[in-house]
Amino acid sequence: MAGLGRYKNRKSKDIPKMSLELCQKMLKDLEASRRPYLEATKCSLDNSFYTSKVGYLTPGEKKVKTELNVSSVQKLSRAIFFLEILLRNLETGAVNTKRELYYMAKGECKANPRLKPLDFNDQSESDSVVDFICEMMELYREELNCFANDRGGQTYSQNLVVTETLEDGTKAVVDLSSLGTSPFQPKNKPQSFQLKAKKGKIKFCIVIESEGTANTLVANGFTRRNNCILLGAQGVPSNAVRGWCKTIEEQLDVPMYFWGDLDAYTIQNIYRTLKAGSAASLIRNSNFSAPNVRFLGVLPTDIKKYDLAAYDVNPKEPSEGRSLKKAKDALENDPFFKDKKNKKLANILRWLIKEKMRCEQQAYFMVDPKDPLKPEKIILDKIKRGEYI
Amino acid sequence: MTTRITTSSTAEYFSKNLQQVGFSSGTKAVLTTLKEAVDNSLDACEDAKILPEIAIEIEKMGPGTQKNMDLVRIKVTDNGPGIHTDDLSKVYGEYLASSKFGRGRCSRGQQGIGISAATTWAQLTAAKGVKVVSKTARMPKAIEALIEVDIKKNKGVLKNQKKITWDRKNGTSVEFFFDGRLQLNGDGGVLTYLNGTSLVNPHLKLIYKINDDKKISLERVSETLIQIPPAVLPHPHTMKLGEFISHASLFGKTPLDSFLKKGFSRVSDVSLKSMTKLGVKKSWFKNPTQKLSQTELKTTYKALQEAELMAPSTRSVLKIGEEALSKSIQRLGEVDFFSVVSRKPRICDAKPVCVEVAVARFLNSSKGADDPVTVLRFANRVPLQFDKSGCAIAKAIESVNWKSYGLNQPKKSLPQGPYIIAVSMVSPFIKFKNASKETIDTSEELIEELRFALMQAGQRLSRYIKKEKRAEEYEKKLKHIEKFGPILIETLGRITKAPKSRTDKAEKGLMKLLGRDTDTVLEKLKEAEAKQKRAEEKKKARLEKSVNKTTPKKKGKKK
Repeated sequence: MAGLGRYKNRKSKDIPKMSLELCQKMLKDLEASRRPYLEATKCSLDNSFYTSKVGYLTPGEKKVKTELNVSSVQKLSRAIFFLEILLRNLETGAVNTKRELYYMAKGECKANPRLKPLDFNDQSESDSVVDFICEMMELYREELNCFANDRGGQTYSQNLVVTETLEDGTKAVVDLSSLGTSPFQPKNKPQSFQLKAKKGKIKFCIVIESEGTANTLVANGFTRRNNCILLGAQGVPSNAVRGWCKTIEEQLDVPMYFWGDLDAYTIQNIYRTLKAGSAASLIRNSNFSAPNVRFLGVLPTDIKKYDLAAYDVNPKEPSEGRSLKKAKDALENDPFFKDKKNKKLANILRWLIKEKMRCEQQAYFMVDPKDPLKPEKIILDKIKRGEYI
Repeated sequence: MTTRITTSSTAEYFSKNLQQVGFSSGTKAVLTTLKEAVDNSLDACEDAKILPEIAIEIEKMGPGTQKNMDLVRIKVTDNGPGIHTDDLSKVYGEYLASSKFGRGRCSRGQQGIGISAATTWAQLTAAKGVKVVSKTARMPKAIEALIEVDIKKNKGVLKNQKKITWDRKNGTSVEFFFDGRLQLNGDGGVLTYLNGTSLVNPHLKLIYKINDDKKISLERVSETLIQIPPAVLPHPHTMKLGEFISHASLFGKTPLDSFLKKGFSRVSDVSLKSMTKLGVKKSWFKNPTQKLSQTELKTTYKALQEAELMAPSTRSVLKIGEEALSKSIQRLGEVDFFSVVSRKPRICDAKPVCVEVAVARFLNSSKGADDPVTVLRFANRVPLQFDKSGCAIAKAIESVNWKSYGLNQPKKSLPQGPYIIAVSMVSPFIKFKNASKETIDTSEELIEELRFALMQAGQRLSRYIKKEKRAEEYEKKLKHIEKFGPILIETLGRITKAPKSRTDKAEKGLMKLLGRDTDTVLEKLKEAEAKQKRAEEKKKARLEKSVNKTTPKKKGKKK
């Protein structure tokens, strides 16, 4: 069997060796006219488990078995073809983004007539093959020297120093206070960074859904006045942002807060992924989630308290309708929202479904339009009073 | 000063309003003339129980008398019973002279307007009426004459009448010269008309020659004579008060109860009893209808309308039949596949109606996947070629969700693809929107009946399309195996650095494995084909059985 089980107890991740064993087994099966198959962890909500003690979604025992037959021959051929490219990268130390890999594979298939049937029409096709390899070998994509394009994670602080150990062993030290108004953006392997406070202990870190809002707060002097880290997530957090938050949480041991819109999509997709990972990334949630991050707002109670400009959503609008439907599904099937420790978050989802309302994070700027520091005051006040979930 | 009131003849009215009866443009003039001549021939043959054979010649002779018009010649010759000399002037030269008016039969012609209008058009545009040759079986020689309409008197005039020797026992030939525009294809095209006519008349042998093109002969595909069901008595619910009173006057001394029972269908003793509860006095029933007062007749009419009566009989409706339609559709070209639905006659708006639908896909069709399907509409077996958008048939087609049957369909439009959707509606009382009988009026009940038929045809079509798609998938899978297998082995060989002997062995192993899959796929493909064949055979057997059941027994000759 060329499945995953045999690699479960591996001590170190010797990817070339694992790959070789897998391919040898497949070839042997074929020589013996046996049907080879590949087995991968089932990455879906029905194979997800959550306990507040662990803090992130973990995979269950369910596996997806892909046996060689007429329907799967294309998928398996593509997977082995891509594995060869990735192994070559590992051997030479080359690093590529997912998009580059797509074009490399596409180019090779177009240039070589024998490989033409494998042709990739869209990046989503090559991305899913890479994901399949990762799930099969329980690897992080980054371990295969394959990264996503940089997105999100712009970080501002007057007290944070990042030390990065480079491939050649040399160290690069970045003092974020020296960057002026420019942010520091973590690369795809933020777990390899060493973090420390320049002076004393950093008091808190806020992950802000919109990078623009983070930037505005910094421009208004938030990081000058407060010993903190501000971080723009730029929507659903990428692997890099998730790994970066995990690193901040672990190395600096600071209270972490998330500040974003009050809507089902933000709570369910953005905040949940940041805090507990996602069902699609079950095998890497342990290193790509920050379980201590708290939901600072916008809370439903804030709407009344600060007279925020909330408005009705139109469930007939496709994206809103989908979002509300997904929220209903999450309440029924997502182990994160079903956990009693997250009851308050689940209640917010219920409130959103019932009231069909939403409120943007930027509504804080309109509480007192004449006072640009009002949002900062509200945030600090909320942290001080413990008004978060 | 008072204005002088004048009266005019029917012929005078129509000669000034020929656009109302299908002569509003050159294209329509050609089609209407052809249609009226062919309709008359077919009706005559069917009445005389003759299998029709019609020869048509259409020719562009040169420029017409009007601007942008051609001089067109149309000659239609049939093997019908022929027309007596005395009747020739009435048939071709007199408006509203008809053997079919108000008889409640599913004949093509009804009022006796069409062919006289064609004569008038020829007379007005080419200064020459219609040249007719006709011979009945009893006539030793055929009669040839030029017939024109005396517009002032609404009378036909025979000119240049002479007896000639004709090479056939009986038949009629008409020849028109008139201004028109000859369009061959498209909705108003002559070829579309000829194809449509041959589709809904499987018993017709049609020979046609257009300009200098080769003569085309479409052989008949059914030897069964069309039996036009006899007319049935009118149903009271289809009558208006005025009609009821004039109908009553025809029965004179007949007592009211007999008049109601004999003069209408679906009126029984039980109905009469229920009418007494609706204001009709019992004593009236024994009174002769002519003795009843206007008020009494009105009360009787009202009670009759309110009484619960059985729906009208559907016996008067004619069907083409699934088998005949199936054969007939193949005369139009090489058919890829087709589905035919012949519904049982139903009552729509208190009138009997029979809807039949044929959906076919033709090989070598000029229509692409994004073109709207070709719609052929028929009313009493006559193609309808103009004003499609307002027609009940087109509306019903657009209202069906063809996507669920595997066809593309933009919202609220006709489906797309190289298909023909032919819908035939037969009824003794078709409600047209205009006198030229180009558009069937819509009503909810009629649209619903049309939709049922279309949906049934769609379901049959979808079964075929699904099978077709499955076969395509199987073939795709077979190709998959051939394409990806070698790539997989080669890559595995490179990663493991395996010697060629190993990869060769693996390739053999793979072929063995996938060969099993190939066999399975081929088996499934064969199974699907066999299943389809079985279904077709079953359908054929069912059709034959139903045809045998419905074929009328031969009766003795009526004297």
